[in-house]
Amino acid sequence: MKPVLGIAGYVLREALSRKFILAFLVGITLVLTVVALSLRIEVVDGALAASRLFGEELRNSIRSVDVALRPVYQAAAFLVFYGGILFGIVACSDFAPSLMSPGRIEHLLALPIQRWHLLAGTFLGVMTLAVGGTLYGTTGLVLIFGVKAGYWTAGPLIAGLLACVGFAAVYAVMLTTATLVRSAALCAASGFVFLVGGIIAGYRQQMTPFFEEGFGREAFKAVTLVLPRLSALAVAAGDIASSTPLEVRSLGLLLLGVLVFGFGALAVGFWRFEGKDY
Amino acid sequence: MDNRGRRRVWLVVAAMLFVVAAVLMFTGQGEEPAMETPKVEFPRRMRAPERERAERRRTHVLPVQVDAGTQERARPRDPLLAALPRGEGKTAVVIEANALRHSPIGELLLDCLMRDGGKRLEELRNLSGVDPLQDLDRLVITDEGMMLSGNFGNAKFKELLGERVSMDYGEGARVYEPGDMTVTRPDGSTARGRSEAAVATWNNELLVIGKSPDEVKAVVDRVEGRGPDEPPAISEGSTYGEMYGVLSVDQLARLLPKEQAELADRIRRVAQNVELHVDASGDVAMVAEVRGANGDEVTDLGKTLGAALSMARIKAQAEGEKDLAQLLDFARVQPDGTSFKLEMAVPLDVIKQRLAFCKEERSAAEAAER
Repeated sequence: MKPVLGIAGYVLREALSRKFILAFLVGITLVLTVVALSLRIEVVDGALAASRLFGEELRNSIRSVDVALRPVYQAAAFLVFYGGILFGIVACSDFAPSLMSPGRIEHLLALPIQRWHLLAGTFLGVMTLAVGGTLYGTTGLVLIFGVKAGYWTAGPLIAGLLACVGFAAVYAVMLTTATLVRSAALCAASGFVFLVGGIIAGYRQQMTPFFEEGFGREAFKAVTLVLPRLSALAVAAGDIASSTPLEVRSLGLLLLGVLVFGFGALAVGFWRFEGKDY
Repeated sequence: MDNRGRRRVWLVVAAMLFVVAAVLMFTGQGEEPAMETPKVEFPRRMRAPERERAERRRTHVLPVQVDAGTQERARPRDPLLAALPRGEGKTAVVIEANALRHSPIGELLLDCLMRDGGKRLEELRNLSGVDPLQDLDRLVITDEGMMLSGNFGNAKFKELLGERVSMDYGEGARVYEPGDMTVTRPDGSTARGRSEAAVATWNNELLVIGKSPDEVKAVVDRVEGRGPDEPPAISEGSTYGEMYGVLSVDQLARLLPKEQAELADRIRRVAQNVELHVDASGDVAMVAEVRGANGDEVTDLGKTLGAALSMARIKAQAEGEKDLAQLLDFARVQPDGTSFKLEMAVPLDVIKQRLAFCKEERSAAEAAER
């Protein structure tokens, strides 16, 4: 485990040295600060009576604060989920290819560690980064609305963590792609393709009737059966953030399934990396 | 293990993980269609069928007025709307009995009404000659009494009210003064009683029940165009929903429980007029528009009501009353200057659950009869 943690630390140091990761953190801070300073909420006995954004009164109806904030939390959950994964794809696409660049990979392979440690460490480092960023952003959001509206919920925080599981599956595919081709662009492309595939897989039941019965429909069902159901996870994240009933039958199983898919993709990467000549 | 063997292990592990992942995701998401979140349509404006309905009801044409040599053709109007009280601060609530009867909630209420297998309804049909399920169109409750509109061509008013002092009034009305009445039961026996209410019938279309003959005559006067010039309590543009009308502030305050005495006082002080619309075409949704003179005071009243609803919802959640909490999810207050709209809804499923016993009792009664 120690070598994996060592590589993860190495990835984290590399990430912190990149300016746009820092810019991302500063960006989150700025957004949270602007929301905190510009939003004024008046709550009377648990009802959202009035709200002002940048001094302008918002034409809101007076209703229970948790009901009134549902769309806000739901939108925030979707933003964190899809925005976070998209940013992760772009921001982290370069890590693995640069780690495997000539000169550097020989140095890493010379270390007394197994090859799979390298990939697992990179995966762990990137996921630590993703979880850290998500927790920072969502905790800020929870604090702002908690202090201003007196309504405390861990919903957005949990939604953020679900997004991290979704990203784990996507990043595992990107890491595996890096073992096939040493290109940041192709890594990002594969991540993007799996993100879109994951969205489609979540809606496979609704989309199946659009395919004519026969081979086409069966092929669609077979492919989407294996893909990580990211949109289903996103909807569940939105439901949790807004404290509405879950649409999925069992969130635990779905979550575990997406995570196991990620490990499966990572195992393919290990298989490829073990047999590669550098 | 050599490199080749290790690679083979990783490949087998990957394949197994993909299979496990597919099973987990398939089971976790489920293949049954997602439950639709309840959506409630609130009656906020007149819809096309209601506009057509209002047009169809413009059946009464006032006689042509000859004034200074000019003849002005009067526009046809709805006799029931014309019969409504005039002026501010009056109460007039219209229940669209026929529309309600054919709504999902109407079916449920019918089950409750016919829990005895429909015996009482049949008795009422035989006694009055009126089938409430077929002949009754609208029912209006006012401060002064009650009005029913529909097709009363087969009604046995003369048999029922024949003993009372009665007179023809205006162009098509007959007014019955309070007095004794004899009812012949289906078994041939008779029952006598006294009613203190005055009754007027108009053209077999309207039945007016009031406290005194003068009151019912005033209603007939309004229908026949002899009433005051003020507009009726409910304008034609407000005839939407299965129940609608205006409530006097006093009436509304009286509806509140004793614990809400402070709120009732505040309503009396701030509000001037309350317009109500209830839609029962699916879920039961209510919109109440409260108007007042002072914008700030009205907004504050809206906030107080919103807070009261929010507290009720929190209480329902805390006490595990899921249905009530879900119902109050839809409650909101929409302030708009010197007025605010209060919206509330009861999902149809909740009502179905509550009234399920009616259907069971009706089926049992009907089975016993067979």
